[in-house]
Amino acid sequence: MSNIRHVRGFDLAKPLSIGVMIAIMLPLVLLPLASIFIFGTSNGLDNFWKALMAPEAIFALKLSIVTSFWATVFNVIFGLFAAYVLSKYNFWGRNAIIVTISLPTAIPTAVAGFALLLLWGPYGLLGRLIEPHGVHIMFTAWAIILANIFVTFPLAFGVIKPVFDTMNQSLEEASATMGATRWQTFWHVTLPGLRGAIVTGALLTFARAIGEFGSTILVSGNLASRTQTAPLYIFAKFNEGQVEAANAIAIVLALFSFVIFSILFFARDWLEVD
Amino acid sequence: MQYNPEEIHVTPMDMGGSAMSVIGLSKSFGDTPVLENINFGVDEDEIVVLLGASGSGKTTILRIIAGLEMPDSGHVVLHGRDVTESPARQRGTGVIFQNYALFPKMTVEANIGYGLRLRRRKRNEIRETVDRLVELVELQDHRTKYPSQLSGGQQQRVAIARAMAYEPEVLLFDEPFGALDAQIRQSLRKEIRALLKKLNVPSVFITHDQEEAFELADRLAVLNAGRLEQMGTPFEVYTRPETEHVATFLGAANLLDGTIRDGKFEHQDVVLELSPDNPKCREGDKVKLVFRPEDVFLRRPENLTQQYHQLATGTVDEVGFAGSYERVTVTLDLGKHKPIVVTRPKTETAAFPLRVGQSVTAGLVRYRVIKAA
Repeated sequence: MSNIRHVRGFDLAKPLSIGVMIAIMLPLVLLPLASIFIFGTSNGLDNFWKALMAPEAIFALKLSIVTSFWATVFNVIFGLFAAYVLSKYNFWGRNAIIVTISLPTAIPTAVAGFALLLLWGPYGLLGRLIEPHGVHIMFTAWAIILANIFVTFPLAFGVIKPVFDTMNQSLEEASATMGATRWQTFWHVTLPGLRGAIVTGALLTFARAIGEFGSTILVSGNLASRTQTAPLYIFAKFNEGQVEAANAIAIVLALFSFVIFSILFFARDWLEVD
Repeated sequence: MQYNPEEIHVTPMDMGGSAMSVIGLSKSFGDTPVLENINFGVDEDEIVVLLGASGSGKTTILRIIAGLEMPDSGHVVLHGRDVTESPARQRGTGVIFQNYALFPKMTVEANIGYGLRLRRRKRNEIRETVDRLVELVELQDHRTKYPSQLSGGQQQRVAIARAMAYEPEVLLFDEPFGALDAQIRQSLRKEIRALLKKLNVPSVFITHDQEEAFELADRLAVLNAGRLEQMGTPFEVYTRPETEHVATFLGAANLLDGTIRDGKFEHQDVVLELSPDNPKCREGDKVKLVFRPEDVFLRRPENLTQQYHQLATGTVDEVGFAGSYERVTVTLDLGKHKPIVVTRPKTETAAFPLRVGQSVTAGLVRYRVIKAA
């Protein structure tokens, strides 16, 4: 950024441009966020707290956290593995796989849910084979995890892969000449270099998964206190006219995102992903 | 696997090699040969420098010794053990990479101790070794720092300490001074040579810098386009080059085409006797006369004394100041020929100042004949 000043003394451009930026953000982002907080607490903090402590609400939050957690664990481990394979080896179809991994971001989430139903549902390709044995995937917490995995699939991979690609190959060679097996090299040399990318990828995945709605509503069954995640709970309460109950959870989800993105921003030196 | 010398055909030459030797290494990338029948050895406590331009194959040789690359044919023998088929981690070589390749998330201590931790040595033993090495490379004040907090020279010392911790069979240096600026390079070279001499580790350096090669090497090997053209002490290789490439790559050299007649070098009127240490030449062989700029003496045409071998008369083209000496180019009266380069020390320039256009006669104190390619 250039810091050349063209004007002596007071430079109007600075307050003006900042003002315009905030004015644009106000109706688009800032006010919608603010209204959640305003409506959620308009009847007093007591009512807000009561809405939050409703058993159904707590269950929904817990379910969201747990399903998002497992989806994150899976996608980070898979993303790491896929990045390793795709950075290390060149093979026929490699580019096709890279494109395919990135696809889920561009597919409407409702389509993702629909696709999972077609696969795992009672009449689905695989569902048909397992349902007779009493194994049910759809309309359980497993379905929510599968949906979360699908929609957040490329996020961790997308953060880890470029770091892998730019990693100095001579580090691994040095480790090998010093007597390390491939696994020891990966554990002691490669993995520590990916620490920042792994944490960043995990936070992004979790943030995206915990807010997922479109695919979850199709595959979960949306049963209160059984398969209802926090976003589904918000939607259900809103439809029932209980805006306060909906808002209470919305505030919690908004705070989650706020914390996650604050970590990503303020810890970026530690995370080494700039 | 035990190395059986009878199974392998070794080019008969004095290669040394009680600690490490490569025998008949060849390798191509696709159709392009990068190495052709490379043979040399390193003795215990010896420093060998592989000198060559980029693309000469020197890096490939180093990587093959370390086990990071496979040769198409040939063997790598470490202390009598044929390791050609062993993976890098089982060879026990110590490699100092060009960019040092220090592990960025490990402290200096952790970097140095890594090889020992991999070998599951006792914690006490690791600590003692690390202490000793940290002291040896004088990084006591930096032992808990991370590589990014160190200067280039300090990083290099960590790289050396790290490679020495597990007592490697041979130390391999991949252009280790490439990333440093000129002044530091020179002092580090001296430091490292002294260090290696103290430790008695067989070492192989690769470099494209002839000054560096002269300063570091006990023996040096000159590589050209995948072939090892000559190997010997720096003095031998400089004073008795065997090929045109060796002559011109190591310092400046003047070349003059000629033929062997009556056992002498002949080029038009120039006739020079051959001393016995020249390569064997037959009558009528096409050869080249090689002489260094510092071995030419310029005199007034009538003044050349008996102590010099008369070359030819000529005219001064250029007189240039080059710091501690003067650099003169002279066109000899030999028809079409590239001007020769002469360097003259201060004592000479004071006794016999030259100006452009002046007629001189050139005499040689030392020269050599090589076979024309």
